[in-house]
Amino acid sequence: MSRGTALLAARGVARSFGRTPALHPVELEIWDGEAVALLGPNGAGKSTLLSLLAGALEPSSGSIERRKGVRVGWAPQRPAQYGRLSARENLELFARLEGEHDPEDATRRLLAEFDLPGKAAPSANLSVGNRQRLNLAIALLGDPEVLLLDEPTAALDPEQRRRLWDRVAALREAGGALVFATQNQEEVERVADRVAALRDGRLVFAGPAADYDRSQTDTLFA
Amino acid sequence: MLLRKDVLVLRRSPLLLGILIAYPLAIALLVGLVASYASSKPRVALVDEDNLPASVVVGGKRFHVDRTIRQASQNVKLVRLSPEDADRQLRTGKVVAVVTVPPGFIASLKGMVRSPQLELQLSRGTISSRVEQQVQALVFSLNRRLQRAYIASNLRYVTLILKGGDGSFLGQPIDVLGIERAERLLDAMPETPRNRRLRDFLHDARLALANTGDALRSTAHPIELVRAPGRGRTWVLSAEVQAYALGLTITFLALVLAAGSLAAERDENVIGRLARGLVGLGQLIWSKVALAAAVALALGLAISLAFGIAIEIGGVAGGEPWRRLPLLVVGLVLAGACLGALGALLGALAREARSASLVALLVVMPIVFLGLIPREVVPPAAWASDVLPFAHSVRFFSAALYDLSPWTSVLREGLWLVALGVVFGGLARIEARRLLT
Repeated sequence: MSRGTALLAARGVARSFGRTPALHPVELEIWDGEAVALLGPNGAGKSTLLSLLAGALEPSSGSIERRKGVRVGWAPQRPAQYGRLSARENLELFARLEGEHDPEDATRRLLAEFDLPGKAAPSANLSVGNRQRLNLAIALLGDPEVLLLDEPTAALDPEQRRRLWDRVAALREAGGALVFATQNQEEVERVADRVAALRDGRLVFAGPAADYDRSQTDTLFA
Repeated sequence: MLLRKDVLVLRRSPLLLGILIAYPLAIALLVGLVASYASSKPRVALVDEDNLPASVVVGGKRFHVDRTIRQASQNVKLVRLSPEDADRQLRTGKVVAVVTVPPGFIASLKGMVRSPQLELQLSRGTISSRVEQQVQALVFSLNRRLQRAYIASNLRYVTLILKGGDGSFLGQPIDVLGIERAERLLDAMPETPRNRRLRDFLHDARLALANTGDALRSTAHPIELVRAPGRGRTWVLSAEVQAYALGLTITFLALVLAAGSLAAERDENVIGRLARGLVGLGQLIWSKVALAAAVALALGLAISLAFGIAIEIGGVAGGEPWRRLPLLVVGLVLAGACLGALGALLGALAREARSASLVALLVVMPIVFLGLIPREVVPPAAWASDVLPFAHSVRFFSAALYDLSPWTSVLREGLWLVALGVVFGGLARIEARRLLT
């Protein structure tokens, strides 16, 4: 029986920077309610694939397909926010750009949820952890059905990690999906349904997380 | 929304904003000073091969040579040099011209029969024509002083013919009967037809010679330039200075702001977030163009208001600084937008905010100086300037503020700015894709 249309799919998508290929053609589908972990060493092409899925980069070949009406939230590895604006101002600006009905309310909600300072200090002055929280909060604006998170927990403390995964669990229960890049095997085992492993810009493994064991990780990162 | 964000970011950087405003104003002032220095007196060598005396009597009038030369040479700085030194300094460019007084000059001058000659040697280069004009002005000024002496001398002969008496001609003493004394002699003679004819002739001659002074003066100066009372503006308040100050400030500000703020979107890693459907690259370029136009408008109006107030306080006549402000607003917006589009192109090419700001800084000066070079001096510079916004902006501002009928100039320059803005904006949109990598 046909499963219908994937929430998000990469169809032979590839990307080169100049003459250097960053990602060779990749096929990947993301379905309702699932969590897909992108694994691979530095420079494997994980961030490039996430940027392509988010629409922040245009593919050199292939295409990205998105189910009609599906909203996508994206948190890149390096926080993407205006350093001279406060956390509140950043959230309000992106809330408006995302088309939130009530930008002020969405801002208040996310400031509280991520325990972010509401004062007018520029976000460039925030700690690394707080900047990453703001990065994730911005990704959640516009009620996305698919979250694309690039090493989301790297700068978060344990409490914030727990909150993030709780939020992701709620999203999946509501039928949404998660694609996250990580180098943390524990997170893969705890969160991911499927694994897509990349090396040198090539997809070297794609399958259920259960089929992916630690020995493969050791080989991947060797 | 993005424009509001950019204005907010700008407000959060008061030091940067202060420098962005103060720096071009300082540069405009320096350019003005250099421009005024450029029109200062050129250094001209005077080679005296006739051993000019301290004073000389021409047409009965005494001339103190040095004082006369000093008074006549208001537009050049004359320095006395030997022929060898003058030749060397002309070759090395320390003097721009050599005026030589050849042997026999004073003798010819005193003789009042043949015009004495001065020899002029000019350096090569673009200012030689200007120097030639200055030296011609010097000779013209000397001639005027001599003409007055010549006319006075000639008028003494006329008076001698009218009144009669003792005089001298070419150094020889003469005794002249004179018309008036001749008439009196005729009156003492019996009335005859021949005497009556002579008396009529003497009467007509006396009337005619009575107007000789004016006739001589008008022959010497068929057209005389009379300086009217009242003064124009000082160069500091001139229309040109205001137009250039506006043009330079806006060029600097719009280019650096648009280039830096577009590249900063990439530096802050936000461009990817915006480009994934929130804001198109075209919209992003447009927001930078709008930012440049808004800042150019605000700063341009502030400069114009300050200038207008200075003119009002100084009671300087000329120009219509207030009535033309609406037209100036159009020019400021067009110029700011066009320069913003060029700045956005530079930002897209440079990709990083620091590089973009540096590139914009480096590009400002050539753009401005290309616009300052007169078309007739270096035509290729003017052609290059035609495809850049600075000169069009300056001409727009100048026409908008001071031309009696500005519409033709304003329309032409406005269309140039729109066309250039569209081209630069289009190129910036194409190049903006580089920011995503």
